[in-house]
Amino acid sequence: MLEPKLDARSFWTLTVAGAVALFGVWSLAALSGITSRTFLPAPWDVLARFAQLTVEPFVGHVLHEHLLSSLQRFGFGFVLAVIVGIPLGLLMAWFGWVDRLVSPLFETVRFIAPIAWVPFAALWFGTGIGGPVLIIFMGAFPPVLINTYRGAKNVDRKYIEAAQMLGAGSIRAMTQVLLPAAVPSIVAGLRISAGLGWQSLVGAELIVASSGVGYLMVKGQAAISTATVMSGMIAIGVIGFLIDVALRRVQLVIEARRGV
Amino acid sequence: MSSPAPARKVLSTLGTTLGAVTVLLALWHVLTAATGFISTARFPAPLEVFDAFKQIAIEGYSNGRWHEHVLRSVLLVTMGFIVSSSIGVTLGLAMGASRKVEAFVNPIFLLLRPIPPLAWIPLAIVWLGLGDAAKIMVIFFAAFVPSVINSYTGVRQIDKPIFEAASMLDVTGWRYWREVLIPGAMPSIFTGLRLSLQASWTTLVAAELIGALWGLGQILNQAAQDIFPAMILVGMLSVALCGWLMTLALGWVESRVTPWKVR
Amino acid sequence: MANIVFESVQRVFRQGGNDFVALKDIDLEVQDREFVAIVGPSGCGKTTCMRMAAGLEHPTGGHVKVDGIEVTRPGPDRAVVFQAFALFPWKTVWDNIEFGLLSLGVESGERRRRIEHYIGLMGLKGYEQAYPHQLSGGMQQRVAIARAYVLDPKVLLMDEPFGALDAQTRVVMQEELVRLARQNPRTVLFITHAVEEAVYLADRIVVMSRRPGTIREIIDVKSVRGAEHWDALPRIEDVMDLPSFVHLRTHVWKLLRDQQGGDVH
Repeated sequence: MLEPKLDARSFWTLTVAGAVALFGVWSLAALSGITSRTFLPAPWDVLARFAQLTVEPFVGHVLHEHLLSSLQRFGFGFVLAVIVGIPLGLLMAWFGWVDRLVSPLFETVRFIAPIAWVPFAALWFGTGIGGPVLIIFMGAFPPVLINTYRGAKNVDRKYIEAAQMLGAGSIRAMTQVLLPAAVPSIVAGLRISAGLGWQSLVGAELIVASSGVGYLMVKGQAAISTATVMSGMIAIGVIGFLIDVALRRVQLVIEARRGV
Repeated sequence: MSSPAPARKVLSTLGTTLGAVTVLLALWHVLTAATGFISTARFPAPLEVFDAFKQIAIEGYSNGRWHEHVLRSVLLVTMGFIVSSSIGVTLGLAMGASRKVEAFVNPIFLLLRPIPPLAWIPLAIVWLGLGDAAKIMVIFFAAFVPSVINSYTGVRQIDKPIFEAASMLDVTGWRYWREVLIPGAMPSIFTGLRLSLQASWTTLVAAELIGALWGLGQILNQAAQDIFPAMILVGMLSVALCGWLMTLALGWVESRVTPWKVR
Repeated sequence: MANIVFESVQRVFRQGGNDFVALKDIDLEVQDREFVAIVGPSGCGKTTCMRMAAGLEHPTGGHVKVDGIEVTRPGPDRAVVFQAFALFPWKTVWDNIEFGLLSLGVESGERRRRIEHYIGLMGLKGYEQAYPHQLSGGMQQRVAIARAYVLDPKVLLMDEPFGALDAQTRVVMQEELVRLARQNPRTVLFITHAVEEAVYLADRIVVMSRRPGTIREIIDVKSVRGAEHWDALPRIEDVMDLPSFVHLRTHVWKLLRDQQGGDVH
């Protein structure tokens, strides 16, 4: 007896009720005075602070400047993961010896949470951009590699035989057969990769950065300004969501073009 | 049907893997200790790592021996994970089963979902300080969302005929949950649990890195401050090992609980 | 001399500790520019023979040679037309046909000339920029045939190329292939389980037995075809009405039947 969809009225009533409950309880707790307003701000305090951060610099920059810093690091790390991950995945799928050589190393490294790279990142790069980029790379790389590898490995044998019959060497086989065949899998991997990369960025910026949204949150925490911390969380959530939406569109476009 | 072929295949794969591992280890040693191509101030040599491990296992490092740190971290993760996923799975199942519950809870969800697990750390520290309580809070929020979402999808993707059969057989109440909803959603539930576990580990290590007295993340932090690359690597490999073992354990639980699933 | 020679070819498979013999004592020569069809019941190993000539599989005993050279790996000199077409879905018709020419290093003017020639010949004009999924089965197989012919290969290997097509398209394709084959004679090894198709297309028919696959009999069709002027009749149904055709077809059927309840189509 899976329930039928709710009619619009019930749906909206309950949704609004839920939102009201959430913000209501929150507001009441904030207004009640159990703790100070900086410790537990009301929802509107958070929004006010968010707005304030867009015009008034905090720890050196305004909000969108911090965001840009973060996005830049994310961009480098993500692009690096793609540039290394896709070719490596193809090579591993095509050449058995590459697979055997790389797999043990990869499987070990894969289980190391990206955040655990922070000490080395700090050791090697100090507070330079290399540190966060390394950590983002470690987060974004596995899904790209795995999805490329799987997509390439699952190519129907008949295409490989046709390519061989047509005289394609290893490079053409990988770029003209494996890669196009693996595209749907790769694009799905990119979405996951972007999500993980963005999450890893946050972690990295909590520790090894001197600008960026994560850094903003850490400094907000040091100042015990919950509103600042929450503003950071909102910014991070929104950007992460937008990145995913953008990649989802890319995925849909590619699926449409292939006549899937 | 006894056949030497499969056994032979397993041995041969094991052989090549061991071979590859040996090659990699040898390469590592050559690049670091033997030639100094990679300075050991930046990346440790294999033997240094081994010595560091001996040190932490026997004498201890940063307030404790290896197994003490591991136990602390594992304990925190397990506690946080169990609390969080129990609530999460139950809520997810309820949302899946009842459109009303879904509509009501959704707004909270839409707010929580886009926030990356690690982003809860500063808030947790502000509210709860640097102790274990903050860590549990962070693990809770990290593990909560995947459990809910996957349990919810688990219920929603149960084939309609199964619901119709349940209706016809007049299965209601607790039985309905126990024998229809939960088993049907089980594979998705476990996917969610896997993601929750991963998130739990990542957030704990991060939280311990930022501020803790014990734990694997704390080892990493201390080793970073002491500029002790070999110990950093010991910490990282320990994180990997624990993550891997806990995932295996979860997989084992899953195979016991869902014997019907085609793997 | 582009001939295919099977010398005492054996093919043994290992499965779960047991050996089973797929092919036994295959001795066959497909002569230069001869069209040879192999027919046989399912599982008799006829496709395996073709795949060995293509270099996609290897004999466990004996040798397979094309033009005197032992076959070790696939290549454009032994073009294959697959039953499942195997066109690259992400490439246009033109690019699919061009793929092998690029491997051969044919320069662009010559490539264009050859591709346009076969596009015209196979009735693909106007479809150059289409993608395989936009084409019918018959059209896709035409592209696959063009892709093979355009390589100017030493030998052509066809693995039940019309097997995935509906009956009407099949007949049309058979007529087209006959036209192509008679105009442009090449060494062809053609695999099919459809007896009529083999009798219509081939110069000689190799009839195989059930597993373990051996050659039961080799039937000469060309002399009959020549004597009875089959090629003078443009339509396949007229040819299939001829007594000489029926006689040969029945002969092959009987050979296939005579095997402990084998599949006959």
